[in-house]
Parts: sequence; C-alpha cells; structure tokens
Amino acid sequence: MPLDTSAYNLALLRVDGRRWNELRRVHAQIRTQAAADGSSYLEMGHTKVMCVVTGPSEPGPRRGGAGAGGGGGSGGKDAEVAVSIVIAGFSSVDRKRHGKGDKRTLELQSTVSNALSASLHTHLFPHSQINISLHVLSQDGSLLAALINAATLACVDAGIPMTDYVAACTAGSTSTYAANDEAADPLLDLNHQEEQELPGLTVATLGNSDRVAVLVCESRVQVGRLEGMLAVGVDGCKQMREILDRVVREKGQRMIQEGTVERGVGLNDMDVD
Amino acid sequence: MPREAEPSLSERQFVLQALQENLRLDGRELDQYRPLELSFGDQYGVADVTFGRTRVLAKASAEVTVPYADRPLDGIFNIATELSPMASPAFEVNRPTETEILLSRLLEKTVRRSGALDTESLCLVAGQKCWSVRVDVHVLSHDGNLIDAACLAVVAALRHFRKPDTSIEGGVLTVYTAAEREAVPLSWLHSPFCVTWSFFGDEGETAVLDATRLEEQVRVASCTVSLNKHGEICQIAKLGGVPVDAVALLQCTAVALTKVKEFSELVDKKLAEDVKKRDKGGFMAELSAENER
Repeated sequence: MPLDTSAYNLALLRVDGRRWNELRRVHAQIRTQAAADGSSYLEMGHTKVMCVVTGPSEPGPRRGGAGAGGGGGSGGKDAEVAVSIVIAGFSSVDRKRHGKGDKRTLELQSTVSNALSASLHTHLFPHSQINISLHVLSQDGSLLAALINAATLACVDAGIPMTDYVAACTAGSTSTYAANDEAADPLLDLNHQEEQELPGLTVATLGNSDRVAVLVCESRVQVGRLEGMLAVGVDGCKQMREILDRVVREKGQRMIQEGTVERGVGLNDMDVD
Repeated sequence: MPREAEPSLSERQFVLQALQENLRLDGRELDQYRPLELSFGDQYGVADVTFGRTRVLAKASAEVTVPYADRPLDGIFNIATELSPMASPAFEVNRPTETEILLSRLLEKTVRRSGALDTESLCLVAGQKCWSVRVDVHVLSHDGNLIDAACLAVVAALRHFRKPDTSIEGGVLTVYTAAEREAVPLSWLHSPFCVTWSFFGDEGETAVLDATRLEEQVRVASCTVSLNKHGEICQIAKLGGVPVDAVALLQCTAVALTKVKEFSELVDKKLAEDVKKRDKGGFMAELSAENER
C-alpha cells in the first residue's frame, strides 16, 4: 500500500494535520441506552464504539467459550467479567466478515476482560457475572484503546465499584524498524494509516498513575524506541482519563439539574449551578 | 467443561509469601530459567524443548499447494497449536481454551508477522504453486511457561527444517527426493524468542521469569516480550491483569534481551552440533559398505 507518511519531516505535521503529541477528537457519551444497566458511546477520531453493560447479575447459562473469563469463573468468589465484541462488517474500508471464533476478536475480548477485572471490585459480587458487550461501528486505528475506554465509561455508568478509570491510547514512532535514525519522534494516538505503516503500541493505565494495565505491541521496533513510545503513551492515557472524567462529571451535573437524581451528600463539593 | 484444580489457600499463601522474600519453591533466582534442553529428531524439522517439567515438541513440514488468490507471490506459512488433554485435564480436543488461543496468537505474532520466515521464497510458480510450510506444536507436558517453550521449539524446528529441492524446466516443476538432491533449508531472516514475566504482589512489584504452573496459577499479571538478538521487539503482550509500573516493564524488556541472546546462542550451538552429527564425511563415506560391526 503506497501510503505516504514520509512528509512528516517537512512540516512536522502528520497525515491528518496533527502534531506529534495531539490526540484526535474524542467524543464520548454515557447512558445512551436507557434500558441498560450501563452504556456508553465513544468516538476517537473515526473509530466509533458502543458499549452496553449488564450486571452484576446472576450468571446465565454458559455460552460456548464466547466471553473469556476474567475473574476466575462465575462459580468463584469473584464476579466474572464476560466481554463480547462484535465488529460490524461495514466498520472498515474493505467489507469483511468477522466470525465469532476469530482469534483476534477473542484476544481483544480477553484483553478487555482482564484489564477491567483488575480495576473493578469483582470481589464484592461473588457468584455473579458482569456482561460487557462492545460493538465496533467504525474502525480507524486504536481499536483496542477505544474498546477499553468505552468499556470503562459503561462500567462507571453501571455503577460498578472500581479503583479508578482504565484509560487507554496508542503511541507510535516515526521511524520504521529498519531505519536506525536517531531523530525519530514518538507519535500519540495513531490512525489506521499510521498504524499500518509505523510501529506502534497500545497502552492502558490505571487512573493518574504510571501503572500500565495493558501494553500491546504488534509491530517490529527497536528496543530503544520503546521508552519514548511508552512515555508518550502513558502521558496520552492521562489526557484520556481527564476526558473520560469530564464526560462522567458533565453527565452527572446534567442529571442533577434535570432532577433525575437527587443531589447526594458527596456531591456538595461539585459546583452545580 | 472440566476446570483446572486451583491451588489450595495454604498452598497459595505459601508460594506468595516465599516470593515476597524473593524465594522460589524450586530454589531458583527470580530471573533464572529452569534447566533448558533442546534436542532435534532424526528427521529434519523436529525439535523437542524441555524447561524443567514442561516439554514441547514442534514438527515442521512442507507440501506444494496453490497460493492464496490475493497473495500470488507468497508461500503459505502456518503454525498450528493443539493443547491436548495429555497436557492437562482442563484442555479438551476441538475446543480451544483461552490459553490455547492466546498461545497461538502470540506465536503467530512473534514468528509469522515479524517476518522471521521469508514467505516470498516459498513461491514456486507465481499464482499457481507454492510451498506451504506448517509447524505443529504439541505440548507433551505442561508445568508452566508454555509460551517461551513453544516459541523456542517453533524457531528451532523451522531452522532445523529442510525442504526438498525443486527445479522448473519448461513450466514443469520437479520436486527431488533427498537421495537425488540435498534438501535445502528455509530462507530464515531472524530468530525471535519469547520471554514471559509473571508478576506477583498487590502492585505487581515482584517480577519472575519462567513461572511454573503453580506460580502461573497464583500470579496477578503476566507480560510476554518477544525479541530477537539484534534488539528488535517483535511483539509485547501484557493483556490486562494488575497494573505494573511502566519503568518496571522497561527493565523487564532489558533483561529479556539478555535472555533472548542466550536462547539465540543455545539454538545456534545445538544446530551446529546437529550438523556435525549428521555429516558422515561426504558422499563416498555414505556409499562405503563398511559398518561398525
């Protein structure tokens, strides 16, 4: 595919006109499905993801290996986080059927499930199940990051106790693995075109800390580049956390203003006008 | 669906407390591998890897087939993993568990997508004939750290493998038997190896290499790094689990590089030994009627 990101060096602008440390436009909503326990809709650039959370509830009949178990099985003392991901056929440029048993999808499911069950207080809900279903409507890079962010928002909406937000984003590097140029810049938040061409990784951190919950790199890259990419990625996750936090707070304020919920004791420090 | 027996509470506590004091049940250092053995079979392309009580066998094979329509210039390269009930009662035939899916994805990303094997060299007649190379991974005994063992076995098997020599004359493809022409090795570009870290403790502060099955059952997170000896990362997978400090992960990668260089040396050494063993002193020596009796 003759894509051209080599123009970066001329003006230090990327194919979509961003600087190296800029995120794409993030638009997020929570409580999009009125009937669900928790739901969210998230756009990162042109990557669009919908998420619905059901539970914690009594585990239903086991589906054949679909949702990868995170919390040690539904019969255990922790709630099981079952994730199912549906990638719509129309989500990418070339229309592709993604079967249920697609290994890549199963890997994504197990990653989202394990990432969230470390942050969710699953020990509060023994013998139960938290169902997270994610729908990918449009793909333009950073898919795993968008899935994790959307799932985090939906879990917040469902009111499941959790340690902190699990915020994710991607980072890349302007050099290819072969070129050993020292001047390679790290890049934040790759789109599909950059993801195809440049080495990159997905990072998810817990809240405002430097602690990495998910780190996935699928391309060949010099080991020396990792530090720069990881630093930019972790920084991006902090920005992402702020964005997610703002979405949750704005929705909360609106719900108080509309009288959907009563103003709670803990909300006194929020300035609601 | 049978479930794996979980370690008892006291067993769990014993392992974890020992690890807090930087001790392991088998007396190893935290970043020490179990005794590692690699042997090749009589046939080309069979590698048997043993890490303590974990044993993985990989067998490479090749056949001539039609290439995929969308990739007429590439050969076909597949890695098949099967975890049979022989390794653990939790594994069932024809019903891949999460472990199996993650293992096969990791091997695929490490060996296939990093371009370790030059698939273009497997093309015989563009769009019509190509080699299809397949590696079957069999887990014979499962005592933890399947990923590192399987990856080492796959790489060793492929580097040991020889495919029959071929020639094309006037559009006719001839595949020669080993007696007619010496089989040729695959065009191999670099050797990636996996190194898996297991993390223990509330914040994943204790990092351990080559976890046994018991340690794997009580760990809070794991991170697999695939590198080659030139210091290129082929893949990193920390798929969830308890969050670990970013700086600690960077240190883990640095240590992984030294381990990968050791693996690389080991495979090179064993391959050289194997070549020496197979070399009977040329064609004349092979034809001679003398034998040891």
